[in-house]
Amino acid sequence: MPVSSNLEKEFVEQLEANQNIVHKICRLYTDNQDAHNDLFQEVTIQLWKAYPKFRGDSKFSTWMYRVALNTAITLYRKSKRRVPTQRYETVEFKIEDTTENDETMEQLTLLYGAVKQLNDIEKALVFLYLEDKNYREIAETLGISEVNARVKMNRIKTKLTNIINP
Amino acid sequence: MDQLDILKSKWQSQQRDFPKYSQDQLTGLLARRSSSIVKWIFYIGIGEFALLTVLNLFLMDSEQHDKYITMLGKPLYFGSYVFSYVIVIFFIYKFWRNYKNISADQPARKLMKNILKTRRTMKWYIWFNLSYVMIFGIIAAILVLFNDPQLSDLIHSDKFLEHKFKFMAGYIAIMIAFFAVFCGLLYGIYSLIYGILLRRLNKNYQELKKIEV
Repeated sequence: MPVSSNLEKEFVEQLEANQNIVHKICRLYTDNQDAHNDLFQEVTIQLWKAYPKFRGDSKFSTWMYRVALNTAITLYRKSKRRVPTQRYETVEFKIEDTTENDETMEQLTLLYGAVKQLNDIEKALVFLYLEDKNYREIAETLGISEVNARVKMNRIKTKLTNIINP
Repeated sequence: MDQLDILKSKWQSQQRDFPKYSQDQLTGLLARRSSSIVKWIFYIGIGEFALLTVLNLFLMDSEQHDKYITMLGKPLYFGSYVFSYVIVIFFIYKFWRNYKNISADQPARKLMKNILKTRRTMKWYIWFNLSYVMIFGIIAAILVLFNDPQLSDLIHSDKFLEHKFKFMAGYIAIMIAFFAVFCGLLYGIYSLIYGILLRRLNKNYQELKKIEV
């Protein structure tokens, strides 16, 4: 079927280019590499299932944030067959900027550690915030009002600061 | 500028930390099977419809069939069947519509709401079936009591007369007690299955609702 395979090609190209978004979400919502891969797979399937309805009225990446986060906080069921392997704490960060590599790595690990202590919804808010989404977009992704997204985000900021600097 | 804003720039600079899947690998993933809760809810829903339909057919095809028709009368017997099938079709339609409304690209809160709505439809379906069985079961049981030739003889016999009221009350009490236990058990199983499946969703839905208050 040429039509569907064209669609598939188009989809896979966009997914390849934007896959880091999914990886970052997987990293926030799972504890080890196997779980990460499992969630990545489910997000990919959900994106592909929803893709026929995506008709470019928003950017691919914007649409992707929504589907991927929905998969992580709502649709995903942790699979039982998985055996926990290497934990994230032992996985090193690699940052392109080499000048302040060590310090950046340390801060990022600290940040991940702090965000991991939040609940699923708070994680989603912080994630979108860190990805530089505005409050309108955050509110639309989660289905809450913009004002409430802002209020909640301020509370989470305080909470995060307390975790990072106890 | 707060600390999170400083970290934000670091966050955005993380580039090569993650595995990079090739297009071939990603295409491979598309063929995998989803294990999302929506799929499970769909399967469980189909299972509920199938189980209750089979149960109904089984009851209808039993050897007692003709006996019941004569005892209950055709209008009640067949009327109850027509009624139950109309309701079943209504529920299947509702279930299908709710299921179709679920889409991963909805706002999170709406998505959760739609999933919970689908589950609620199935809950009502179960309760409809239980109430149906109870109401018609009790009516049938009482009619059997009066119309079954052997039982009728026994009840109207002189020796039995003084125990008649006690017997009837006991009979209905036992029916209700049996039904209550049956419902309790079913409700337990039902809550367990959906409880496990939707634990995370429920928690997150409450959290989102809390933000909106």
